[in-house]
Amino acid sequence: MSSTNQTSLPVASQEDVVAVRQGVRKAGVEAGLTLVDQTKLITAASELARNAFVHGGGGNVLIEHVEEGARKGIRLTFTDQGPGIPDVERALKDGYTSGNGLGLGLGGAKRLSSEFSIWSEPGKGTRVTITRWKA
Amino acid sequence: MRLWDGILALPLIGTLDSERTQVVMQNLLEAIVSNGAAIAIIDITGVPTVDTLVAQHLLKTVAAARLMGADCIISGIRPQIAQTIIHLGVDLADVTTKATLADAFQIALRKLGNGLSAGQSGPPR
Amino acid sequence: MERIPILKLGEFLLVSIQVDMHDRLALSLQDDLTEKIVATGAKGVLIDISALDIVDSSIGRMLGSIAGMSRILDAETVVVGMQPPVAITLVELGLSLPGIRTALNVDKGMELLRRSLEEQRESLGVLHKPD
Repeated sequence: MSSTNQTSLPVASQEDVVAVRQGVRKAGVEAGLTLVDQTKLITAASELARNAFVHGGGGNVLIEHVEEGARKGIRLTFTDQGPGIPDVERALKDGYTSGNGLGLGLGGAKRLSSEFSIWSEPGKGTRVTITRWKA
Repeated sequence: MRLWDGILALPLIGTLDSERTQVVMQNLLEAIVSNGAAIAIIDITGVPTVDTLVAQHLLKTVAAARLMGADCIISGIRPQIAQTIIHLGVDLADVTTKATLADAFQIALRKLGNGLSAGQSGPPR
Repeated sequence: MERIPILKLGEFLLVSIQVDMHDRLALSLQDDLTEKIVATGAKGVLIDISALDIVDSSIGRMLGSIAGMSRILDAETVVVGMQPPVAITLVELGLSLPGIRTALNVDKGMELLRRSLEEQRESLGVLHKPD
């Protein structure tokens, strides 16, 4: 997979979450995603950005245009150095909330994306990567 | 597409594949908004078979229409398709289905007359 | 800080969300609405989300909070103008907005509120006053 046109945005405040939505929209439009796919991607990004900010103590998102063979798409990688998620399986199940309502965040983002992967280690942080391929 | 004020009818014809169904369903939702149609009838009399993906897209469309504040009726479900749907384990419990477009139209008129066509279950009236 | 305007339309309040909201703004909207419902004795709240390209779980929760809070204050909430891509995404996301009524647009939303109010009043035996 090749990646071009990378942008990194901070996710450290509520205003950042809004900026991330706008940045992801821009990337989605550039990649030629359909309106529905853009909406799914931005919604997933909004969930993950909020997670990184509210639960992860802040972090950043890397927005990349990716290509794999004939297909093109957008990949987003959210990274934080927060407390990590002790039980990822459980967190992926909807309705699982911890305090401010983590419910639907991870599971939802997964459902809205073409590809989803997560790394998390308690005490070290979390990294979530989602990809939306152009149909 | 339009039958009567407030009721949109979409006859689907031919074999549906997942991609085509998605596009058609999105167009239906857009048409619901632009026409202010509180009820849409999706007629599948002209569809020979339905697979899981297509059935799921249909159900998602009905759910989306409800979220938006409209309602969908699926008409023209042939016995074979009804069997397929049961075998696939797709749950149609929540969706109004009618054998013919004419029946669906009657139900739609009645719903509009009663002002029942608002989406999303809310507090009991 | 910017605040989202709330308009009074007879017995109802209309909120039109035009901006990409962050959580603080959503919270202040809830506060403002609560105050205004009490201050005006409003019987219904219309939330117009036709300008929203995105409804994530946070906004979903806000809408749910507003509906719940309004109900406690004896007002009904109707969310109107949801865009198709938003509806499709919400279905995919699995967010169902329980207890929230929706209508296609402000007109239909008002109709819904009026009818509901009428039914309520009839069932309570209150004389229906013409608008």
